[in-house]
Amino acid sequence: MISRAEPTPPENGTSSSPNANSPLAANVGIDGLIPVRMLNEYSYCPRLAYLEFVQGEWAENLETLEGTFGHRNVDKPDRKQIPARSKSNSKAAKSEETEEEGPTSIHARSLTLSSEQEGLIAKLDLLEIEGETITPVDYKRGKVPDLPEGAYEPERVQICAQGLILRDNGYHCTEGVIYYIASKRRVVIPFDDELIARTRELVRLFRETAISEICPPPLEDSPKCNRCSLVGICLPDETNLLIDQQQLTHERSQLPVKPDGLRKLLPARQNALPLYVQHQGAFVGKSGDRITIKLKGEELSSVRLLDISQVCVFGNVMFSAQAIQQLTNRGISICHLTYGGWFHSMTSGLLHKNIELRIRQYQTAAQANEALQISRQFIAGKIKNCRTLLRRHLSEKEHPVLRQLNEYHRRALRAESAETLLGLEGMAAKEYFAAFFTLLPDQPEFDVDGRNRRPPRDPVNAVLSFLYSLLTKELTVALQSTGFDPMLGFLHRPRYGRPSLALDLAEEFRPLIADSVALTVFNNQEVSPDSFLHKAGAVTMTDAGRKSVIAAYERRLDTEITHPIFGYKVSYRRILEVQSRLLARHLLGELAEYPSFLTR
Amino acid sequence: MRTVYLISYDITCPKRYRQIYKSMKGHGEPMQYSVFRCELSDMELQQLKDALWPVLNLDEDRVMIVDLGPIEGRGDDCIEFWGEPIVAVQPRTATII
Repeated sequence: MISRAEPTPPENGTSSSPNANSPLAANVGIDGLIPVRMLNEYSYCPRLAYLEFVQGEWAENLETLEGTFGHRNVDKPDRKQIPARSKSNSKAAKSEETEEEGPTSIHARSLTLSSEQEGLIAKLDLLEIEGETITPVDYKRGKVPDLPEGAYEPERVQICAQGLILRDNGYHCTEGVIYYIASKRRVVIPFDDELIARTRELVRLFRETAISEICPPPLEDSPKCNRCSLVGICLPDETNLLIDQQQLTHERSQLPVKPDGLRKLLPARQNALPLYVQHQGAFVGKSGDRITIKLKGEELSSVRLLDISQVCVFGNVMFSAQAIQQLTNRGISICHLTYGGWFHSMTSGLLHKNIELRIRQYQTAAQANEALQISRQFIAGKIKNCRTLLRRHLSEKEHPVLRQLNEYHRRALRAESAETLLGLEGMAAKEYFAAFFTLLPDQPEFDVDGRNRRPPRDPVNAVLSFLYSLLTKELTVALQSTGFDPMLGFLHRPRYGRPSLALDLAEEFRPLIADSVALTVFNNQEVSPDSFLHKAGAVTMTDAGRKSVIAAYERRLDTEITHPIFGYKVSYRRILEVQSRLLARHLLGELAEYPSFLTR
Repeated sequence: MRTVYLISYDITCPKRYRQIYKSMKGHGEPMQYSVFRCELSDMELQQLKDALWPVLNLDEDRVMIVDLGPIEGRGDDCIEFWGEPIVAVQPRTATII
């Protein structure tokens, strides 16, 4: 490693940056160094670099994994001595030159170097030192592209930036090499004036973008998005479509045309699914890359870590430290519910790096007007979806409740205050549940006379309360992994001491997921009177009953439906995540309005 | 979406054998000794390679990876199995215990 002068401490009031007071601007301020890898990303797509560098987002895909695999040899740092060079101290430089006269060819792997002057830092895969000259070699997983320049701009800029760092550290460096692993070929990239100018320009542009705190817009219909690992976070086509639609509706105040089908960049289904453990006294451990569930030393089941998206435990279930570490390291949350199904805590890894989003969330929640605007969407969406559920199931197609709910929906969209909105929600819910309970079989065991809770007094309400709890848990996980703080909501106020934002976002999904599952389990007789326990007027579920309800709920989340705005098929599980990301896009100013999820 | 792979191996050294067996258990279900049926996406196959590579000594060991096709297609029904498998293949559902 080459020693450098001590970096100067950040000055107060860096006058050149417009947002000098912002905690985020400090990252890339005057003396913040930009990783050269980010420069590559910036040249590929400015938004990608912003999401990774400023918002701290990261996701793997096949390309990134193959890249790491291809680097398995060059990423092993070696302990070789590399002669240091110094441009300022000529005496030291001379003495090193004399030392260098012996061996002429040196190879060094995985070396981190930086340059204050260029404002860059890089991890160099391989350095080939030949006497006075040093050549950086960068490993790339793919094949040599068929281009006159020998490589795409992002790669050329990256290697050139490495060269600039080496030059600033006093080495003689005129060209770099990109080694394409798939072709096993070296491509020489000469550092000409044009490339150097372009590299320095990109460094300047990236710095400006990062300080601006405005996420660059997504690429339009670009083939780059197909191979991008962050596509599920960036949502390029979805964001572009919504921006266009919202502008159109704003200008013409009418519904825009539907798209004829968006590129399907998101997978329809996730491979990993939740693991539920409700055996009291069960022990969750890890063996190899599997999670094992044991009861009194006997193995009940074991699941590959690959197949687990979250672990939900009810009541007294024990965990080994190794299991907790593996789960949280892989970003798998552990949700703790009480024996009765009350969601009370969550074990997860460190908080998401996207601090920018949390700052905006707090700012928005503090502004009554902005919070109200989002809350309207939650409640109006909920009322509309309640109406859809009733319309699908009621035999009478002109039922008065449908008209009533339409009216409440219209009024909710224009509610002047949070109190009015809550009032409307209450009235709509009353009418909705009155109609909802008529959809259930008229069995004497199911004593149904409206929604009640804390504790629920009949089986239907017990199932509904349990399902709402599962839905809240689902959204808490989704919101936290998007980078939100699930505890601070816009409609539900934090004093309830519950994940308010998850409760907010749950509103529009209650009828679509929870209520619809409740109808299914009762009408298909997946639960029977045996599935419930009655205690002094309160009703709870047995383990078997809860198991059937969870199974039905998980089936529902796995259901693929045609997305009403984007037009492709996705599972509800994915939709929950996408909605949470769309909420983030709204808070960060990309979408003028949060689009609530409405089915037909 | 996932593809079904049949993966088998010969490992000469008992220490490496145990390490490989443990890694393989994280990626698939053992059907016979040293023969696994693995349901993997492209990414998960790469992760499997990542896990095996540092342990293997390819001067002595052998690994065979056979692609049996997507789960919905041939992958699911091209294996005829006699006798008890070491671990039965579970269908894709949320695990509720």
